Amino acid sequence: MLELDRIEAGYGSVQILNGVTLGVERRRIVALLGGNGTGKSTLLKTVSGLLKPWRGAVRFDGERIDGLRPDRIVQRGLVQVMQGKEAYPAMTVEENLRLGGYLVGNRNQLHRSFERVYEYFPRLAERRRQLSATLSGGELQMLCIGRGLMSQPKMMLLDEPSAALAPQIVLDIFRIIGRICREGMTLLLVEQNVRMALLLAEYAYVLRDGSVHLEGSAEALINDDNVRLSYLGGGADAVVAVRA
Amino acid sequence: MDYLIDLVIVGLSLGMVYGLVALGISFIYSGLDIVHFAHGEIYMVGAFLGVTVLNLTGLNYPALIVVAMILTGAIGVVIERLFYRRLTREGGGISFAGMGIIIAGFGISMVLQNIAFLIWTAKAVPFPVRFGLPLEIGELMVPRSYLWIVAVTLILMVMLHAFLKYTRLGLAVRAVAHNKDIAYLMGINVPMMISLLFGVGCAMGAAAGVLIGPINYVQVSMGIGILIKAFAAAVVGGFGNLPGAVLGGLLVGVVESLGAGYLSGNYKDIYAFVLLIVVLMVRPSGLLGITVKAKA
Repeated sequence: MLELDRIEAGYGSVQILNGVTLGVERRRIVALLGGNGTGKSTLLKTVSGLLKPWRGAVRFDGERIDGLRPDRIVQRGLVQVMQGKEAYPAMTVEENLRLGGYLVGNRNQLHRSFERVYEYFPRLAERRRQLSATLSGGELQMLCIGRGLMSQPKMMLLDEPSAALAPQIVLDIFRIIGRICREGMTLLLVEQNVRMALLLAEYAYVLRDGSVHLEGSAEALINDDNVRLSYLGGGADAVVAVRA
Repeated sequence: MDYLIDLVIVGLSLGMVYGLVALGISFIYSGLDIVHFAHGEIYMVGAFLGVTVLNLTGLNYPALIVVAMILTGAIGVVIERLFYRRLTREGGGISFAGMGIIIAGFGISMVLQNIAFLIWTAKAVPFPVRFGLPLEIGELMVPRSYLWIVAVTLILMVMLHAFLKYTRLGLAVRAVAHNKDIAYLMGINVPMMISLLFGVGCAMGAAAGVLIGPINYVQVSMGIGILIKAFAAAVVGGFGNLPGAVLGGLLVGVVESLGAGYLSGNYKDIYAFVLLIVVLMVRPSGLLGITVKAKA
C-alpha cells in the first residue's frame, strides 16, 4: 500500500535520510523503530508531504505522492497522526475532531466519523465540550488518533503514540490501535518503545543514521541478539545495572 | 455634561474606526505572524475605491462598503501572494525573517501611496454621500455618519466572530493561525486559508476607510496617521488579540477626544501615546493580552 524507494531528504543542506526503502502492506501494522535523531520524524514528514524528498519516490496505492501538497495526500487517504501535544489547545475536543474531518463534506458521513471515534474513545465523548488544553496526556493522544480517524483514511502514520505516557495508558492505547487495524486500517507505527511496538506490529524496520539498519518480522527481531542488546534493554542496560 | 457626552460620542465613533483598523492588523498578526505596516495604505486605498465606485455607479452606502471591502481584500490577497508569502516561509514575528517582513511592509506602503497618488492625485476629496440631518436623541444631535460607523463596525465584528467560531472555514482559519503544519495534516488547503486570512484583514481596513470618509476628507496621506493610532490601539488591547484590538481602539478614540476637548486640540495626536505608555507600564502585554512565557 505504501512504498518508499531510496528516499533521501533533509533540512537545508543537512541530509537526514540516506536512501530509505521500505514497504507497508494493506491492513498490516508495520513498526518503524530507532532512537532519537535516527530520522524517524523526518521520514514521517517526507511521507505526509510536510517535507519534500530530495531524491527517491513515495508511492501510495500505486501512485506517486512525493512532491504533493500535504492536504492532497490527506485527500488520498493517507493521514499522519501527530503526538498528543500537537492537539489544538485553544479548541474544544469536538472542534479538534471536526478539523480532522475537515475534508468530509457529507453531513451523514461526518456524523458517522464522530460516532466511530467516540466508540473507540468514550472518554473523548465525555469531554467533547472541554478545551483540549484541559486533557491529560493519554486523552490528548486519544484525541490525536481520533482526529486522524475522522477523515476516514485508508492508512495512518502514527508518530510515537506512547510518548510520555504511563505504561498502563500505553497499553490501553495500543489495544485500540490493534483494534483499528483489525477493522481494516493500515498503519505505520513510529516508536521508541520497541518492546511495545514489536508486540503490536507484524513487521518492523529499524532506522539508524538515516537508513534502514535492520528489518524483519517482529518475532525475528525480538529474538535478534543485536536488537535485544541495543533496544530491548535486556543486554546493555543489564550490564550497566550490574556494573553500577 | 452635554459637552462631555458629545466628546465621548465622537471618541467612541472614531475609536470604532481605529478599532476596525487595529482588528485587521491584529487578525493578520495573530494568523500569519506578519506585522502589517502597509495597513494604513490599505485603509486609504479602501476609502478611495469607495469614492471611485460611488462616482461610477452611484451605489448606496452599505453596498459601497461591501464593494470596497471585496476590492481591497482582493488587492490584499495579491500583495500577500506576491511579497509576504516568500518571506513568511522563513518564519515571522520577531525572528530574523520577521525583520524582512516589516521592511517589506514599509516598501509596500510607499508603493501603494505612490500608485494612489498617480491615480487619485494629492487632492483631498470629500466623500460624496449625504446622510441627511443629524439624529436628535433628547438634547443631543448625533451626526448620522457616526451612527453608521458604530453600526457597521459592530456588524463586522459580530460577523468575524461568528465566522471564526461557527463555520468550517473559520475553524480552518483558526487552525492555520495556530499551526500551519498541523493544519496541513488535517487536509486543509493552507495557502488558500492564508490568502483568505490576509484578504479579510485588509477588507476590515477598507471598511474603516469608507466609514471615516464622510467625516474626514479622503486623501493619499491619510494612511500614516491611522496606522500609528491603530498600532497604539492594538498594543493597548494586547497585540494579536481580536476583542483587545477593538477595546484598544475605543480607548484610544475616547482618550483622544477627551484630551482634545478638555486640554488642548493642538496635542490631539499625543494622547493616544500617553495612554499607550501608561498601559505598557502597568500591563506590558496589553489589557487583554496573555503573558506569553518563553518556550521551555
